[in-house]
Amino acid sequence: MPPKAAPAARRKGPSFKPPRPVKPAASTAAAKRAPNATAPRPAPAKPSAARSGFHPVTTIVSSDEEQDAEFDDLPSDIDALMEDALDEEPTPPQPVALDLSTPPIPAPLLVRLLHHNFQNENTQIQKGAMNLFGSYMSIFVREAIARAKDERERAGRSGGGAGSRFLQVEDLEKLAPELLLDF
Amino acid sequence: MADHDEANEREERLKSALWYTIGQFVDNEGAEDFNATPQFIGALTELVYTQIQNAAKDLELFSKHGGRKVINGDDVMLLTRRNEALEETLKRELDRMRAADGRGEEQRPKKKGRPTGMGARGKGKA
Repeated sequence: MPPKAAPAARRKGPSFKPPRPVKPAASTAAAKRAPNATAPRPAPAKPSAARSGFHPVTTIVSSDEEQDAEFDDLPSDIDALMEDALDEEPTPPQPVALDLSTPPIPAPLLVRLLHHNFQNENTQIQKGAMNLFGSYMSIFVREAIARAKDERERAGRSGGGAGSRFLQVEDLEKLAPELLLDF
Repeated sequence: MADHDEANEREERLKSALWYTIGQFVDNEGAEDFNATPQFIGALTELVYTQIQNAAKDLELFSKHGGRKVINGDDVMLLTRRNEALEETLKRELDRMRAADGRGEEQRPKKKGRPTGMGARGKGKA
């Protein structure tokens, strides 16, 4: 359990269930360390690094107003709870604005694709799990496109053919191995 | 044999649908920003299709391993076991969905923490 200290402190986003014993322990540990030796540095540094990988996705996606409006009442008091719990590094959960505005793959199609590929025809999937898988694939597609864009820009900069704005198969070829390792 | 052909045909149709929807998505997403060659769309479709194929097999096996016939959210979370940032993002997504569904859902056992078996993975570095 001790190795969990850092991740627990950082993963405060979903932390609105108080009954977890790990959380208080982690925060007190952090507090104890603080006076001794400016140690809290590494902890804040890590989350930003971890998160940065997904930034492009976040920025692309953040356009679902109606979704936000729908959830307005809930997140507000969730936030209040969280700030009570621990008040270091109050980062808003940015990727919350994720997906659902326009999922790249509509849910019905995704269900069919999934069921087509089940080996056992009796396999079923819960609705919540299906939604979650939808988010997963949505992230996958967006990430692929974002990385392809990145590749393209790099190719354009390094002198290639005047950097056409068209994403090429080569871009995808370059990013595919790493992408697949990440998912 | 006829069975086989039928399955193949269905797969082709599904792939076409996927190709269309991904094409649309890329067009919308990059309306002024960038564009993509048709070949890119095709390749991306294949990539996504393969990913879904793998995920389907994984999910099926995960749930079977858990002694279940029905895939649940934990199985999906297991897909992200190799990428912490992704796991975090998805978990946040899960919490958000759950909050939207009304908090009653929360009494479903765990799901908040990772599935217990995963402790062995030693995800906490250090």
